[in-house]
Amino acid sequence: MRAILLLVTSLLTLQVMAEPPHGYPFLPFDKAMQQARIENKPLFVYFGRYGCGYCEKTNKEAFSDKQVHAAYTKHYILAYVDSESGKRVRLPSGEQVTEREVGTRYNAFVTPVFTFLTADGQPLLRLVGVQRIVDLRQADSKVQQLLTKASKP
Amino acid sequence: MKLQIAWLGLLIAAAPLSAQAQPWKFDEPVTVTKTHNKKIFHHLESAGRHNIAVSADTIAVAWEDNRDGTPRIYLARKARSSREFSQEVKISGKGDAFEPSLIALDNHQFALAWEEDARIHARLVTPAKLGPVIILGERDAMQASLASHDQQLLLVYSRRDGRFGRIWMQAIEIDGQTLHPKHGCAVDADPAQDEQLYPAVVSLADRIIVAWEDRRPGHTIIMTAQNSDLKSCRFNSPQRISEGSSRSNPTYGKGHGVARVALAQYGTGQVLAAWADKRDFREGYDIYSANYRPGNKQLFGPNLKVQDSFGGIAQQWHTTVAGDPSGRLVVGWDDKRDGDANIMLSWREDDGWSDDVAVPGADGTGEQNHPTISLDREGNLHLAWIERTTVNGPTRLRYLFGQAIK
Repeated sequence: MRAILLLVTSLLTLQVMAEPPHGYPFLPFDKAMQQARIENKPLFVYFGRYGCGYCEKTNKEAFSDKQVHAAYTKHYILAYVDSESGKRVRLPSGEQVTEREVGTRYNAFVTPVFTFLTADGQPLLRLVGVQRIVDLRQADSKVQQLLTKASKP
Repeated sequence: MKLQIAWLGLLIAAAPLSAQAQPWKFDEPVTVTKTHNKKIFHHLESAGRHNIAVSADTIAVAWEDNRDGTPRIYLARKARSSREFSQEVKISGKGDAFEPSLIALDNHQFALAWEEDARIHARLVTPAKLGPVIILGERDAMQASLASHDQQLLLVYSRRDGRFGRIWMQAIEIDGQTLHPKHGCAVDADPAQDEQLYPAVVSLADRIIVAWEDRRPGHTIIMTAQNSDLKSCRFNSPQRISEGSSRSNPTYGKGHGVARVALAQYGTGQVLAAWADKRDFREGYDIYSANYRPGNKQLFGPNLKVQDSFGGIAQQWHTTVAGDPSGRLVVGWDDKRDGDANIMLSWREDDGWSDDVAVPGADGTGEQNHPTISLDREGNLHLAWIERTTVNGPTRLRYLFGQAIK
């Protein structure tokens, strides 16, 4: 029984270290790009890394907020990129590259980096490093304002 | 701030001195393949970044591109005296193929290994023809890297073993133009505790050294193991090469990131490991290295930063390393310290690593990145890289020769 508990605990710990925050429908980068085009919604791209402390801190202290969750799941298609991973994604141009290469092109030189993109991949806003609840809320407001402004004739 | 500006000024003033002392005189770059347009993307990628090799006076470059809609492996060759590469030959088959690792054998011959439809493939290339392809059995295998030892290829790669990738070494006998798989083994005899990825391998006279990315401590580190009994396929217990960071956050996370180790043999029985390392997390990845120390309990020595002080204002990517029998040793990468992505080099000097130098012809406007380098027996530098005029735009594959200055 103790061994099973230890195994479950270690698996949960691994998930926390390697992945985006729980309860958010993050997709691989290429799937998210496709979905964003289909729904004509902006993208929120989370560049993380296995074992990234500041990602874990942001997950626990900011993405756990209910209003952040509500805003980000409503307003954006969410993409997660492990910026050291060799997993391949297909870009809209047809080019196939690794997630690490996606990180290189979006200059994810530290982790986390959060990039807001239009549905066709144009950068809107970028956040670098640990984010607080207020940072994520303000970024969402700013991006929504930008999109509203851009949609006016 | 004033102090930083003064320090930068001092560094700028010192830069021309290092440029004058560089050990190669570079030709004009040439294009490796004439097949390029806005829908074709060339990639120079492989575990260990072995995409260029020199056998006698034949230079070969291996890459992947999607010219017919499917990623495939191609090889182009040229004689050193020629200004142009030959028409490239297709190396891979019908499947999606990625990350070719290329090594030189004797007499203008080469060996390649690559991933195709999630299996590792390999074949020989002679001046006259292509040898038959061998396919290693298991699925979910990737990230091949090659070395040679006597009449054998040593192929390392990551293959799925349960939940995790595990580094495997496969010995392959060379019989004329044909390859025959022989013994193979997991480099770490213990079951993988987490992902083992992107291996590199070198072969010395009496031993084999493998290095790879390993996620066992909850973040990525560089590990190594050696086999000093070539009749067996048993490696010693793995050891860590990349050191921990003094700035690790005690509350969150497990440690800093590292990526894509490359190995090079130089001098007599000396080996350098180099990789991208984010221990100084505010600066992004830096290039770090460690020297193999034969006879020591710890196989690799202290970690040394390769890049110079200017490197701190940019991030470094795509580490490549080469050595020669005389003891020359050079590390290459790309970074954007000058605004555009340029190919940078640093070489071993008596007292450490040289100042960084942007390679003439592989710098300037547009993007120059994804370098792969090789030193031939005379110490001449051979460099191939990817050139883009716009970010995410179409690519061209370029080559440059650096004549060793005696």
